[in-house]
Amino acid sequence: MELSLVLGAWVAAGMTLFIFSFLYKDNPFYRAAEHLYVGVGMAWFIQLYTYSVIIPKVYKPLVDTIKAGDWVNMWLVLIPTVLGLSLITQFIPKISWISRYGFTFLMGYGAGLILPAGLATDFMNQIVGTIEPFANFFSLSAGAMINAIIILIGTLSVLFYFFFSVEHKGAIKKVSAFGVYFLMIYFGASFGNTVMARFSLLYGRFDTLVKYSKGEYFYATNWIILGLLIYFICEKIFFKAVKLKKT
Amino acid sequence: MNIFKKYIPLALVFVFGIVTLASYYVPHRVSESYMEQISVWENIVFAFSLFLGAISLLYSHYNKIVKKVDGWGYSLFVYLGFIVMIVLAIVANGKISDEGQMTALGWGFNYIYNPLSATMFSVLAFYIISTAYRSFRIKSSSAFLLFIAGLILMLGNIPLGDLIWSKLLGWTHTSIASIKDWVMNVPSTAGKRGILIGVSVGAAVTSLKIIFGIERGYMGKD
Repeated sequence: MELSLVLGAWVAAGMTLFIFSFLYKDNPFYRAAEHLYVGVGMAWFIQLYTYSVIIPKVYKPLVDTIKAGDWVNMWLVLIPTVLGLSLITQFIPKISWISRYGFTFLMGYGAGLILPAGLATDFMNQIVGTIEPFANFFSLSAGAMINAIIILIGTLSVLFYFFFSVEHKGAIKKVSAFGVYFLMIYFGASFGNTVMARFSLLYGRFDTLVKYSKGEYFYATNWIILGLLIYFICEKIFFKAVKLKKT
Repeated sequence: MNIFKKYIPLALVFVFGIVTLASYYVPHRVSESYMEQISVWENIVFAFSLFLGAISLLYSHYNKIVKKVDGWGYSLFVYLGFIVMIVLAIVANGKISDEGQMTALGWGFNYIYNPLSATMFSVLAFYIISTAYRSFRIKSSSAFLLFIAGLILMLGNIPLGDLIWSKLLGWTHTSIASIKDWVMNVPSTAGKRGILIGVSVGAAVTSLKIIFGIERGYMGKD
């Protein structure tokens, strides 16, 4: 077994167990792993964007266009670079207003893109999906007919629930209350999906821990669990002794 | 000075917003090349915004270390993780694998980032159970529906659910998987559609407010 793989197994098992140790109680190992995750996570995205955006879309095109004297294309790279760099002025209070240029570009572009894209996918497509079965309603099977009616009634009642321009009383109150049932089913289903996703991640972690508990990895999982157990036992005894001394 | 601090940024939002919006609906090569170019610009500016986040994170932990606030030692781990990952990326030139071989960055991803990230999210499974206990206490008909939908989804995804269903309700000649599919495709879809339609209307209105400078929260304080 390669040294890098064994070392990796020890690091991975350690990180996994340090985070799991929080299930017992907050402790320095968890805190260290948590902070390490913040740093590693940030560095991961920084390197990702550096090697996939900054170098190929900023650095290289700038060098190439300057070398070739292609001033038009140079400006096409320089403008977003300056807009991007303007964001960094956030840290200098006197000129922090310059960062607005970068933010306004992102906001303007984002708003201009989300408006038609959102209307096309989330608005129109959902409406089309709801009413489309009624275009050939009588050619559907009995089950599909019932399903189409349930979806239509459910969607409308949920929309009534979110319609605040009129007071919810009388018939509207009843319809919107009916919409709550559909919302609850959706939330319950989403919750069930989330639970399954989290548990599949959990199985994955347990699987990794079992893998690293084997002899070829020098029983990484076992040794780290033992170390954590010793720490928690010592901590308990030590703190008990300190508490007794104080009283 | 107000023109540089306020009016030009607002004009930028308006121009980029309107031109992007128009380009979406105008099938012309100019608008197509604009969309292509502007998405590259967005990529670049967004990449720099990550640097803004990184500087902010490192600066706040630097302050904790310098001021020696409670738990300042843990902030050193933020720097340690950051530096280690950046060094690995530089060594591997940003590649996870090279000719089928795992690089130093790949090692960092597989043995540091991935275990930390996956475990952090998997720990939530335990908290979800306690949340489920609180939220699934059946106090009303809507709470009952929430519970039933969640239960069907979970049972429908595991072999044990199928076993329980066939033992208890096998005589119905249905399967828990088909019930789950129906819940997902019919009543859950209705709930989801209502929400999505509402969200899209809200997003459209907010976008218009941003483009026309009515919503200016992103401008910060004057």
